[in-house]
Amino acid sequence: MALIEVNALTKVYSSDELQTPVLHGVSFTIAAGEFVAIMGPSGSGKSTLLHILGFLDRQTAGTYRFDGREIGEHTDRELARVRNEQMGFVFQSFNLLPRTSVMDNVRLPLLYSSVPPAEWDERARIAIDAVGLSHRAGFDVAKLSGGERQRVAIARALVNKPRVIFADEPTGNLDSQSGKAVMEILQKLNEHDNHTVVLITHETYTAEHAGRIIRVRDGLIESDQAVAKRLHASSDFVK
Amino acid sequence: MRLRFTLKTAFRGLRANKSRSALTILGIVIGITAIILVMSVGEGAEQLILDQIRGLGSRTIIVEPGRQPKGPSDFVEIFTDSLKPRDVAAILQPANVQGVARVSPAVAVAATIVYGTETKRITMRGTDPFISEIMNLAVAEGSFFTDEDVRRRASVVVIGTKVGEELFGADAAVGQKVKIKGKTFRVVGVLKEKGAGLIDIDQMAFVPYTTAQEYLLGINHFHAIMVQAQTEALVPRVARDIELTLRESHNITDPDKDDFHVTTQADAMASIGIVSTILTVLLTSVAAISLVVGGIGIMNIMLVAVTERTREIGLRKAVGATGGDIMQQFLLESILLTGTGGVVGIALGAMFSGIASLVLRYAMGLQWGYALPLSAVMLGVGVSTLVGVVFGLYPASQAARKNPIEALRYE
Repeated sequence: MALIEVNALTKVYSSDELQTPVLHGVSFTIAAGEFVAIMGPSGSGKSTLLHILGFLDRQTAGTYRFDGREIGEHTDRELARVRNEQMGFVFQSFNLLPRTSVMDNVRLPLLYSSVPPAEWDERARIAIDAVGLSHRAGFDVAKLSGGERQRVAIARALVNKPRVIFADEPTGNLDSQSGKAVMEILQKLNEHDNHTVVLITHETYTAEHAGRIIRVRDGLIESDQAVAKRLHASSDFVK
Repeated sequence: MRLRFTLKTAFRGLRANKSRSALTILGIVIGITAIILVMSVGEGAEQLILDQIRGLGSRTIIVEPGRQPKGPSDFVEIFTDSLKPRDVAAILQPANVQGVARVSPAVAVAATIVYGTETKRITMRGTDPFISEIMNLAVAEGSFFTDEDVRRRASVVVIGTKVGEELFGADAAVGQKVKIKGKTFRVVGVLKEKGAGLIDIDQMAFVPYTTAQEYLLGINHFHAIMVQAQTEALVPRVARDIELTLRESHNITDPDKDDFHVTTQADAMASIGIVSTILTVLLTSVAAISLVVGGIGIMNIMLVAVTERTREIGLRKAVGATGGDIMQQFLLESILLTGTGGVVGIALGAMFSGIASLVLRYAMGLQWGYALPLSAVMLGVGVSTLVGVVFGLYPASQAARKNPIEALRYE
């Protein structure tokens, strides 16, 4: 069964007198374990789409089923729980808590979860290990480089063992070397640990690390194809 | 554990803006300090007054001329001459009043006492020797005048320590001749030092009431009659019987037209308690205004903090925080702010009232006891927490209502 099922999804932002349509009827499905890139120029509606997929916003019309349940069936409290337990978010600008250690940043989602506090440190340590930052666990995030900060954000997304990771332009603020390291981690999470990854990007190069690309333009799907020649951030992964 | 993390976050937020946090809670600190100070000093003053009244003995009943005052603005006609020797005789009749141990009339004289070139203005009481028992007066040199002195209208005087020091210095006072209103008196006793209180015994002098009436005042009525009941339990009955007796002998049928009033120690203590409670409530309310002002400051700063941390709120919501979680976090921060202000205020208030009591005791010579009522501390803690909740509620609900996407996009 598909993890994500979107059918004729539309989104119109309305203020007092202005109606701004952003999505004009978008349909696709994403199966568990896939690595999908959603690509498009700025203003194409890709970020709005990700916000709806990530339960941060609601659609105007159409249906969105996550794990078989329609978004409209959830109360705000339930949406918060699904975000907490089944989704992980990675943002372009990292969004870490300032003046806070790597450990405490990674622990943040656990604060709002049903995981017993006794397991928090262990869980956080495993997530920090997975992004290769064990040696930085006690550091204040202000002391880290941009690439390291984004890896902290990925560890935070992982800590509750979510079913899907939503990454919104995760390499957008990074140099190519750090960007490559981030893509390597995302690919590893997808291929080794079977995490579903949904990546938003406007760069073809980054998108080609995914297994499938959905191109969005002016609120409509332009194309939806498997990547013929998939790029691998780590040379170890070249098939 | 969860609460511990929320507290940790709250502390971090406050520490990051140390001077801002400190300035914000200043209003709360001042308000709580004022409340503690008022309540502590008020308690000390009340205790001082109550000790004085208690010093009169629980069996003592005081009869004074003029009707019972009905409120603070109702002046007693203390200058009426309604209390006469025949009233003393009537109270002494067991057929009228049962259970009387002693009756002791008194008059007050404001006069100047002269010894050689030394003069001193003093408050004088014309009494009988029994006053020394009622007021707990001990004699240091010589002796108190006797009932015989009262009967003979003897020109003898017993003086307080300070009066003695000022008039005679280091010389022996007993046996010296002094002049009061032109009449010569012989000093028969000097009292032991008592320390200042409501009435400063050390600055007073006592003469037989008969002498004072005849030679100093030229009157034959009394300014007060002190009655001692045989036991404490008899006090209410004796007081009532005195009222009935005097009303009958003064031909009064309507109690509202009484030309005298009877006060027991319990009455006096109760009325002092009421006055001091009213004063404390009044002054505390004034201090509370500072708390409201301080609370508005807290609300203002919390609103700024919510705006500054919009992205953080968005992130927390994205990783699963509910509106309730966010609300709780910001409420806790504002309570932490005001609570800190409350604790600092209590400490400062306790310190200032301690200094005040030292000044009153040593610089002014009052028998002042330091009191920090538990009720004041609890009020301080409770009120500062309450201010945090009340003025934190609006900013916290603003934070909880933020839309996660807009919050994340906020620059």
